Amino acid sequence: MTPLDLLVAVVQQVVDGVFLGLFYAIVASGLALIFGVMDIINFAHGDLIMISAYFTWLLSMNLNLDPLLSMLLTLPILFLIGLGIQKGLINPVLGKEPLIQIAVTVGLGFVLQNIALGYFKAEPKGYPAPLFSGGFNLGPFVIYESKLVSAMVSLAVLILLSRFLAKTKLGLAMRAVTDDRASAMLMGINVGRVYLLTFAIGMVLIGVAAGLWMEMGQVTPYLGTSFSLVSWVAVALAGLGSIQGLIISAIIIGVAQSLGSLISPSIQMAVVYLIFFFILWFKPRGLFARR
Amino acid sequence: MELFNREILLALAIFEILVLGLGFALSGNSYLMLLAAQVLLFAVFVATWNIIGGLTGQLDLASSAYMALGGITTSLLWMRLGVPPLLGVFAGGAVAMGLAVLIGLPTFRFGVKEVWYALMTASLVVILNNLFRYTMGPWDFYLPSKWGLIYLRPRTYFELFLIIDVVLVIVILVNVYISNSKIGYYLRSIREDELASESIGIDTRSYKLRALAIYSFITGAAGFLQIVIYSSFSYRLFDTSLAISIAIMGIIGGLGSISGSIASAVIFRTLGEYLRSSLGGVFPGLDLLLYGIMLIIVGVLKPEGLAGLFNQVRRWLGK
Repeated sequence: MTPLDLLVAVVQQVVDGVFLGLFYAIVASGLALIFGVMDIINFAHGDLIMISAYFTWLLSMNLNLDPLLSMLLTLPILFLIGLGIQKGLINPVLGKEPLIQIAVTVGLGFVLQNIALGYFKAEPKGYPAPLFSGGFNLGPFVIYESKLVSAMVSLAVLILLSRFLAKTKLGLAMRAVTDDRASAMLMGINVGRVYLLTFAIGMVLIGVAAGLWMEMGQVTPYLGTSFSLVSWVAVALAGLGSIQGLIISAIIIGVAQSLGSLISPSIQMAVVYLIFFFILWFKPRGLFARR
Repeated sequence: MELFNREILLALAIFEILVLGLGFALSGNSYLMLLAAQVLLFAVFVATWNIIGGLTGQLDLASSAYMALGGITTSLLWMRLGVPPLLGVFAGGAVAMGLAVLIGLPTFRFGVKEVWYALMTASLVVILNNLFRYTMGPWDFYLPSKWGLIYLRPRTYFELFLIIDVVLVIVILVNVYISNSKIGYYLRSIREDELASESIGIDTRSYKLRALAIYSFITGAAGFLQIVIYSSFSYRLFDTSLAISIAIMGIIGGLGSISGSIASAVIFRTLGEYLRSSLGGVFPGLDLLLYGIMLIIVGVLKPEGLAGLFNQVRRWLGK
């Protein structure tokens, strides 16, 4: 391999890594929002994405609809499911000690994972002919349409989310609760309602991540664990309170994983988690935290 | 206070009579004997987890990492250098402990706790899984065809069951000893309120590290028995879902309660194995689904777990 080949390979991985990172940003956004506003430790985050991906797949297969379009149907339904999960499971453990929250959400994750395993079995499921499945050459580089589209959609949704948090009354209330729950309550914000809507909006973000994933790849019952871990790494790296920070952190993770796969695909995740270790040791509040 | 009071020794004796009775009763059926050995070994790991998770309150999700690392070290020492596993398990435990302390030092130094500790340990399993696969490949490695006590690899499952039982008794005694001595009180106070413990002069960092060291050593040493049950090992031994199951059993049993954690390990693993063998073809993962549901119920309704239930029954009987 000449140095030029190596350079091309590295740049290709960096480009892929940026796309992957933008996708990770949408994967982590639901967790960051829920953790930030409600202070709930959700270990089932990745499994919620996994089960939503199956949901998207079912709709796509039955209606013969591209996963990107199925989202128009899944997102409102997931919003309602989010309201239900918040009422039934999350409310009882709000404000409880971290271990209890972890236990309940790990339990939820196990339940979702094994329902998926029992119902859909272990074989990967994918939509056979997504709208964007080809690729094109850009000089010596290959750009996959599905990755490009999912990165762009993810970026658009995140910009929308950040506008929503900055400009609407509900968004302002959510940020107020993130910064100081007690004062927010004293200012007349209905914290219970903010929590309910936060979790539901978090579920919508989860639905977007699931839809984009089905455009790119296949779902197995075990997809959730890695999404959970990656989301938590992104949140740890970013710190709470800034969407821009989350996007940059997710891109760092995506590029690190992508470059790691250049060494060997079997250690790409190890590279990401090693970064996680060092962040927790030396920068526990993250790179971009507001508090 | 005595370290081992009569009540505890009596309870242990009754438990042992039950376990041995069960062992003899099943000894004719090697399939059931293997299942019983597996359940008992699972109880060993859960009871060991109780030291770091239950007593100290650190939600460690790396149990399977220490188990695999220790077990594989023991196996490789045997296969490559001819060290008999009876000695090798101590090296296995030491290697697992070495890694745990190496990571634990900065982790506790920089105050990583709660969710971040849980995530860090969960990702440690994945890191080791990937590194092992990268260096050793995706293959299954089989243990040499040698049997005997010196290899901790008896010819019958009944003898294996007895070996695991001995380990379980050791783990129970270690638990009781720690729990009733000064370090146990310190660990429990760290679990209840770390800041307050520090303010009354407990070196929380050093005590958390000691709990981690004991837990990882025993888990690493006992890891070889898991490999003996499978007769082989591969990178799949570094299993996040197993590590989470072990922690789940510790929580369902009631944090810090040795009887509760062993009871939950035995009851749910047995039930899980039963479900797996009877309905596994129709509904794979039903056993793990059950663990998840139990965990949600315990978390939402009864955070003190099975131990709380025991106490309730005891109070009710005492009336």
